[in-house]
Amino acid sequence: MEFRALARPAVRLLNTSPATTLPLVAVRGHKTTARTKRSLKIAPHDSFLPNRQIAFPAADSIIYNPPSSEASPEHTPFIFLPSNDARRAAFTRLRHIANSPAAPKKVSELPKEVEYKRRTPSYHLGAEDIKEMKRLRNEDPFKWTSYALAEKFQCSSVFVRMAAPAPAEYLKALKDKAERREGRWGHIRTKAREDRKRRTDLLYRGEM
Amino acid sequence: MKRAPLQRWGGQLLQARSRAAMAAPAARQPFAASLHRHASSAAATHSPADDIPAESLRSPLPSPRPNRAAESAKLAALHARLSLSNKIPLETLARALVVPSADVNASFNNSNLAFLGSTFINYHVLEYLAVKWPRLPMTILYEALRAYAGKESLHQIARRWGVEAAAAPGEEVDPGLLQWKPQESGLQTRWGYVRAEAVHFDRFEPRRGISSRVVMDDEFGDTLQAPKTGPEAFKFYQDEAYGSFVQAVVGSIYTHCGREATRDFVQSHILSRQIDLSSMFQFQLPTRELAMLCAREGFSSPIARLESETGRLSRTPVFVVGIYSGSEKLGEGSGPSLNIARWKASMNALKAWYMYSPGNKVRVPSDMFEEDAKPWKAPHIDIGEII
Repeated sequence: MEFRALARPAVRLLNTSPATTLPLVAVRGHKTTARTKRSLKIAPHDSFLPNRQIAFPAADSIIYNPPSSEASPEHTPFIFLPSNDARRAAFTRLRHIANSPAAPKKVSELPKEVEYKRRTPSYHLGAEDIKEMKRLRNEDPFKWTSYALAEKFQCSSVFVRMAAPAPAEYLKALKDKAERREGRWGHIRTKAREDRKRRTDLLYRGEM
Repeated sequence: MKRAPLQRWGGQLLQARSRAAMAAPAARQPFAASLHRHASSAAATHSPADDIPAESLRSPLPSPRPNRAAESAKLAALHARLSLSNKIPLETLARALVVPSADVNASFNNSNLAFLGSTFINYHVLEYLAVKWPRLPMTILYEALRAYAGKESLHQIARRWGVEAAAAPGEEVDPGLLQWKPQESGLQTRWGYVRAEAVHFDRFEPRRGISSRVVMDDEFGDTLQAPKTGPEAFKFYQDEAYGSFVQAVVGSIYTHCGREATRDFVQSHILSRQIDLSSMFQFQLPTRELAMLCAREGFSSPIARLESETGRLSRTPVFVVGIYSGSEKLGEGSGPSLNIARWKASMNALKAWYMYSPGNKVRVPSDMFEEDAKPWKAPHIDIGEII
C-alpha cells in the first residue's frame, strides 16, 4: 500500500506515451466482500483504547460512560419551575443583576440551529379539498398513493393518511407485498433490521 | 412487660385464643381424631388407645404453636435486630412469619396483620411520591410505588433483615423461620375488581386505560390474576411470602405501638431505599411530545441547536445538541448522529419536566399529625401529563 502510493505519481510523470486503458502499475480493487470489509476496518481512536504507556499494574483506565459532564434530568430548567417554587423567585432575582452569568443569552448569541427535515403546517386545506382527496383515494388507490396526493395538495403524506385513509384491500395488498419482499431477505439483512429496531427501543428507553 | 391499650381496631387481631376454644376446629383437627378422643374419654373400659398419649394421635398442626415463640433464639434475635419495641411480643412476630399458604387459619397466619401493614406502607410511600415528584405520569407513579412497596422489593428487605425460610412448614420447625409453601393459599389477599372482559382475555387483549386501572385494579395497577403454576410460580409465591412478612411486621407495629412508630419504621426501612426514576421512562415520539408540552404551557416552540461536535467525518462522531425554547435551554443530549442527539435532548427535557421536585425535604400530609406542627402549606399540584 505504501509503495503504491509513492509509485503512482512517479509512474504518472514517466508515462509519456498516449493514455492506454491498462495502467502501468496494477491497481487492485477490493473485489470480494471479505477484502472490502478488511480494508474498511479502522482501528478505534486512541482515546477509546487502554493506556499502554504505563506498566501493567497501573495500566487500568476508566472510561466514564455516560460522562460526568452529561446533562442530568435532575436539573429543572428555569421555565419548567412552577410559579410557587422558591427557586423561581431566586433565579428571577439573579437574572436581573447586570452581567449575571445566570441571565439567559440573546437568541442571536445562541449556537446555530440543527438542520433537519421539517415542515411548517400551513392549514390551507378545506373540507372540499379533503372530500376530493378521499374521492381520488377511493377511485384508484394504486395511482393516488399518499405521496401522490401529498404532492397534489401540498401537504404532508401523514396528513393524507389521516384525512383520507386508504381502502382496506389496498393496505392488505401493500402488506402482502412487504411480506413477500421481506421473505426474500437473507439472515444478515433480517438480523440487521431487527438490531436496528432494538437499538431504537434502547434509545427511547434512555439506555443508549 | 407492659401491655399496650387495645382500643385500636387492630387490637382485635391479637385476641389470644387457645386452639381448643376455636369455633371451627375442623380445619385444624381432623374429624376422626376428635371423635376418637371423645370416645376414649367417655369410655369406661380400658382400651389400648388410652395408653398412647392424645398428643401423638392427632395430626400435626400446619404451623408451630404460638406458645413456642419464647423458646426460639432466631425469633428473639430477629426482634432485637429490627430494634422492635418491647411492646411487641415475640408471639406476634412469630405469627407474622406464618404465611397463609402454610396455614390457612386466619387466626394463626399473618393475613390480617399483612393487610393492615400493606395499607400503611402504601399510604406512606404514595404520599411521599405524590409530594416529592408532583408531575410524575401515572404509569411511572405505579412503577415507583412498586419499586418501594412491591412484593419484590419487600422480599429484598426481608432478606436483608436476615429472615430465613423453613424447608417445609410444620408444627415441629423453629417458629423463627418463615413458614410458606409455593402455592396459592385460597385466602383472598389481593384486592381489585374482576373486569367484565376478563372472560375474553384468551381471545383478545382489551385496551386497559390508566383511569380504569385506578378504579378497577389493585394498588399497583395490576389486574387480578389466576393462581400461578409452572416455573415462575415459585418466585411469585416466594416474593409474596417474604413481602407479607414485612407487611405483617408493619401491621404489628401499628397494632402495638401506634401511628408514629409505624411511620418511622416505614421511613427508615422502606422509604430510605433509593430508586432511579429517570431510568423508568420510555418515550415514543419525544420531539412531538415536547412540542405539545411547549404548546400547552405557552412556551415558544422547541428548537434544536448544535452546541458542539467532534469528528463529524470520523468513525466515532459525537454531537451535542441542546433544545431551546426561545432563549431558554430545556435540555441537552449527545449522540453519534444529529438525530439521535436531538431525540436524546428532547427526552432529557421531558424527563426534567416530569421529574420536577420541590426539594429534598418535603412535608407530607401525615407530618401534620405531629404535635405543634407548623401550619400546612399546600404542595404543588400539577395539571397532569402531556397527552
